[in-house]
Amino acid sequence: MKYAIETFNLTKKYGDFTAVDSLNMKIENKTIFGFLGPNGAGKTTTIKMLTCLIPPTSGTAKVAGYDIIKEPNNVRQKIGMVPQLVSLYKDLTVKENVELCADFYGMSPELKEERINELMEMVDIKYAENKLVRHLSGGQQQKVSLVASLIHQPEILFLDEPTIGLDPTTKRVLWDLISELNNEGHTIILCSHDMYEVELLCDHVGIINQGVLAAFDTPQALKDAVIKEKESKVAKILKKIKEEDEKGEIIEREGREISIFIINLTDKIIEEITELPMVMEIKKHHSNRITIKIDEGSENGVNTVIRTILDNNGIIKSISTKDPSLEDVFIKVTSKKVE
Amino acid sequence: METKKIMWMIKKDLLELWRHKPRLIAMLLFPIIAIVFFGYGMGGSLENIPIVIVEQSHGPVTNQTVTAIKNMSLYDVKEVTSDPDQAKEMVESGAVKAAIILPPDYDNLESRQAPTVILYVDSSDQLATQAIVPATQTLFARISGEVGVQKMQIESRTGPITQNESSNALQSIVNAINFEVDKIYGDVKYMDFLIPGILAMTIMFACMGGMGRSIAGERETGELARLFMTPTSIATVVGGKIISKLITETGRALILLIVAIVLFGVTIKGSMLLTFLLLILTALCFVGFGIMISARAETQEDYMQMIMPFQMPMMFVSGVFYPIETMPWFFQKLAYVFPLTYANNALRAVILKGTGITEIWSDLIILLAFTLIFFTLGVIRFNRDI
Repeated sequence: MKYAIETFNLTKKYGDFTAVDSLNMKIENKTIFGFLGPNGAGKTTTIKMLTCLIPPTSGTAKVAGYDIIKEPNNVRQKIGMVPQLVSLYKDLTVKENVELCADFYGMSPELKEERINELMEMVDIKYAENKLVRHLSGGQQQKVSLVASLIHQPEILFLDEPTIGLDPTTKRVLWDLISELNNEGHTIILCSHDMYEVELLCDHVGIINQGVLAAFDTPQALKDAVIKEKESKVAKILKKIKEEDEKGEIIEREGREISIFIINLTDKIIEEITELPMVMEIKKHHSNRITIKIDEGSENGVNTVIRTILDNNGIIKSISTKDPSLEDVFIKVTSKKVE
Repeated sequence: METKKIMWMIKKDLLELWRHKPRLIAMLLFPIIAIVFFGYGMGGSLENIPIVIVEQSHGPVTNQTVTAIKNMSLYDVKEVTSDPDQAKEMVESGAVKAAIILPPDYDNLESRQAPTVILYVDSSDQLATQAIVPATQTLFARISGEVGVQKMQIESRTGPITQNESSNALQSIVNAINFEVDKIYGDVKYMDFLIPGILAMTIMFACMGGMGRSIAGERETGELARLFMTPTSIATVVGGKIISKLITETGRALILLIVAIVLFGVTIKGSMLLTFLLLILTALCFVGFGIMISARAETQEDYMQMIMPFQMPMMFVSGVFYPIETMPWFFQKLAYVFPLTYANNALRAVILKGTGITEIWSDLIILLAFTLIFFTLGVIRFNRDI
């Protein structure tokens, strides 16, 4: 089986409102797939259909090779879900919660015991197995939720904002766990608004906007698409400059930002940089950092700025240019109105 | 500044209320339902109590008596029969609350022997008994006086009498009619009358209220969604909920029964096992009612608002505090739409009258039917996710 999930014109309508509109996507087996989208874009509705909680209005999907309409119980046996809201019984202990889940999946007593111990050790929650869930921290509860969702060894694990509200250390622990689970062969479907998390973990990313799949690729390919778009923009600007020179008109130009940290920043350095023809704007920040907006049309603009600093005996500690991030991709894709 | 803040608090609360229509409707309906059902269900005077008259002789006194009884608004004469056994059976079966049995010599004015009228009353309905007995006593005292005068006139026409005869005649005139009350279940206190109804009502509140947390609450907090993501049918989850609720409610029914016996000295005239089974069936029925309503309730608060319009009328109309017969016509009909009425009837019959399963089978069947309908609708209407 090549694909863990395949959707075929998957659609969900609520009256006149189409929450998910003819969704077609294929998620490869044993990969981590980041499912992104703004609030209300149809992400949760899609997940609910894929986890057989709600039926689609039309179309269908295959999850772990089973049809969500015809074989929902087979699908349920193959999937696990860690919801955003920790949905454990607060007055049961950690172990009782996990045992309950195991029995709902019909596991044999021996396998159940072995698997519970194995998972609890893996997520490091065994020490709290006899504690009531209500007495655990948010991070601990999320770990228990993960154990409960993995107890039946699902092929596909859905994670809905698994690290929301967690401290940075706990977040990292969970990220490591997600990678480890993927290495073990689980396909992970990760819904998140944390772009760093998605960029760090996911092999592929799908962005849903207004019920339609607006982008689907690897994070790098999506970022490259933005770079390519920028490059084509640069070409257009160069053309514009040429036209401007020919016509003697001033056309508004776009710039790119660089941020430089100069240990011995002086007013003279700022003055010299300001006078450079390719510098469109310069801002001085605290702790000797300056941000410069350089004309996109200038090919050696960055070099000239650096040379000017060095000529004035400036010592550069760091320099950074702003490359597109997954967040830029997200904003770009989701800001487009669906026709 | 502070005024603005206070204004905002008021505005916020009112807007919230306006935007949660079920809450708003329930809030507006509550006082209306409360006052209407409380007023008619508890505050009404006792009228139209169903009775049967047994006339075993014919004549002016009988006619006069039957007319007098029929003219009283307290009674609703269901039948006039000549068979005392049939009348008694009607009382015992609960078809009527009392039988006024006029003896065969009721119209014999020439007899020196005073005829004995028997009031055969279903004392398990304590309130009805309390009203019927004194009213009937007063009525017959009046009739006795009138009959006495007629007897005196007849006596005077038959010629002179001795002193001894005269004293006997006077005696028979004063006591022209004897009146006897036969309370078939002995003296029943109001508390005895109340307890079976309270048992049923407590179970109704506990079971319906409990399903709010159990289903709507778990749906709200996501626990139910986790269960439904496993290969498990709705019937299994709902079935499990029913059984667990039944276990706790059985325990509660036992405690209720013990408290009623120990603290209020309630004696169960019928079978203890039957009483207990009835309490469990009542619990099952209201758990089903709860499941039916909670099947579509998104939150616990919505659920609580949704059950209120059922609980309030049931509490007042199903005869817990006051006999159904005393209520306005519409409420009497409405009472038979509510399962609490049947639970109440059956429990009262077993606890106060000592009746067996053969006499309450219709109540049992109706309760069972309600239960089945509630469960079926509950499972059909149940959404894995709302």
